[in-house]
Amino acid sequence: MRRRAIVLSILSSSAVLAAGWQVGVVTHPQSVSQSLDAAAPATGSTSGSTTGGATAATPTPSSAAAATPQQAAGASGTFTGAAAQTRFGAVQVQITVADGTITDVAALQLTDHDQRSVQISNRAAPVLRQEVLTAQSANVQNVSGATYTSDGYLTSLQSALDQAGL
Amino acid sequence: MSLRTAPSPVARVVADPGRRIRSRRRLRAADLMVALCWSSVAMAVALYLAYGGLAQVTDLASGLTAAGIVTGLVGTDLILVMLVLAARLPVIDRIVGQDTAMAFHRRLGKPALYLILAHGLLLTIGYALADGSNVVTETIALFQGPDMALAYLGLGLLVAVVVSSVVAVRRRFPYEVWHAIHLLSYAAVLVALPHQLSAGAVLAEGTLQRVYWIALYVLAFGSIAVFRFLVPIVRSARHDIRVAAVEPIAPGVVSLHLTGHQLDRLQTQGGQYAIWRFWTGATWWHAHPISFSAVPTDRSARITVRSLGRGSDALGRVRPGTRVSIEGPYGIFTDEHRSTSKVSVVAAGIGITPVRSMLEHAALRPGEATVLLRATDATQSYLWNEIGALPSMRGNPIFSMMGARPRGLATWMSAEALSRGVTITSVFPDLLQSDLYVCGPQSWADLVIRDARAAGLPDSQIHVERFDW
Repeated sequence: MRRRAIVLSILSSSAVLAAGWQVGVVTHPQSVSQSLDAAAPATGSTSGSTTGGATAATPTPSSAAAATPQQAAGASGTFTGAAAQTRFGAVQVQITVADGTITDVAALQLTDHDQRSVQISNRAAPVLRQEVLTAQSANVQNVSGATYTSDGYLTSLQSALDQAGL
Repeated sequence: MSLRTAPSPVARVVADPGRRIRSRRRLRAADLMVALCWSSVAMAVALYLAYGGLAQVTDLASGLTAAGIVTGLVGTDLILVMLVLAARLPVIDRIVGQDTAMAFHRRLGKPALYLILAHGLLLTIGYALADGSNVVTETIALFQGPDMALAYLGLGLLVAVVVSSVVAVRRRFPYEVWHAIHLLSYAAVLVALPHQLSAGAVLAEGTLQRVYWIALYVLAFGSIAVFRFLVPIVRSARHDIRVAAVEPIAPGVVSLHLTGHQLDRLQTQGGQYAIWRFWTGATWWHAHPISFSAVPTDRSARITVRSLGRGSDALGRVRPGTRVSIEGPYGIFTDEHRSTSKVSVVAAGIGITPVRSMLEHAALRPGEATVLLRATDATQSYLWNEIGALPSMRGNPIFSMMGARPRGLATWMSAEALSRGVTITSVFPDLLQSDLYVCGPQSWADLVIRDARAAGLPDSQIHVERFDW
């Protein structure tokens, strides 16, 4: 009878684990953060303030091809993105644009649900800012270990970019 | 000249189908309960995976962090399972018995502690790696997090509880000290709860995970509140139990006669015990598990106890009129739990008490039972005269075996019986077609069970009540 209890335990536990794993794989595909950076267009001049002080986590994509800046119909000013809700708090960014070039990204709000989230945000924000200034778009790689902050940051950024018409 | 035919084998007693079915059903329920315990652990991990736990793992730091989270989830789930096992849920007591549940509880203790320790360690290292700092700085940073000081306090309490429960240490403390420390485990679990809800990112609001965990906490603490506190308090108040008389029946052994209202509504099965507390200045702080030595009637109950410790020594001096509170009745050393149509009983010393009430309750037919009473000498033959007078024992043999065990030999029998070639099957010819009930000191009972198993008796037909208190 003990053997039956063991078999039953193994079977039911495996079933529960397999179901959980399957749901996780479907709803949170692991490769999503890595697939974004492939098509990062490099159209920006590097005139913006790049004094983020962050450790450059990612190399600049195609930095050699410095295209001529298209300053014809460039917008200027500051644009505030919509706040993006994450499980660990809202994320909201503001961009400063001069003649169609993003010159600064300021984080108005970062994941702050708990101590750990604050730690993660503080680490991820400078990295993301640097990446965005370099790429001049929201098509940058997520910061590893800060998936939620990154997702929220880039979502809010995209909304600001849309307002700026970039 | 006539040929003597060989004696035909004893016709197998047709098992009472009702008993066998009930017994099978109980075993199936027990298996299901074990599976449920482990499935709840699997559920904790599965929910973590379902909410994208695996997708977070990209490098060593996040791998260690994920491992830290999983060990924390599994460890906490085990602790909550332990609390449920210790909550004296009636369904658990009825199916496997509270002592079996507590044996499982004890086996989970150390693994749960190791998992919680690993949880703290792995997360600290994982965070330190991710932030590029060292373990000490990270620990200080963590300590300043919300509710984290409480969480560390919980960890400290948990270590104290497990260390004090390790048997070697436990023997050095009086039982009450060990028990008081053990109650800290409730505090340990509760002070760790806030950090799981605030800092524990996996329990974020609005997730099924949070629902599952809160439900598990409510189940564990709810069942403890109800079945360890509320039910005993209500029961004690309703039945208003008091000591009616204290009857010394042998040196160091007393029967306590109790009175109360509607004691039959406790629905005590013969062979069960309860945990008693006698409200006098000297005894109120110590609860005693004591078996019923008679089936309670509407107005009266009787328990019999041998003094084994300081606490139970004082019971002989309890005055009539003393208020008594009761937790229980508990136990599956009952006729209800028999799976075959015959009964074999071995009782030693004070182990006679549950046996007497079990036999009284059973309403046995002639030829249904065989009883062996065991004592070292005549002073230990407690209640033997009452066994013979039970209606259940009419037409059922009662044997006695008196005398010390032989030195240096692992046997439950007396030296004299051993020398006569007595074996468990010679005493109980129908052993394999019966359920064996054993009650006596643990090491002695283990030897009876060893012989019964060697004779081929399956565990499902062995019932044992151990007297260690």
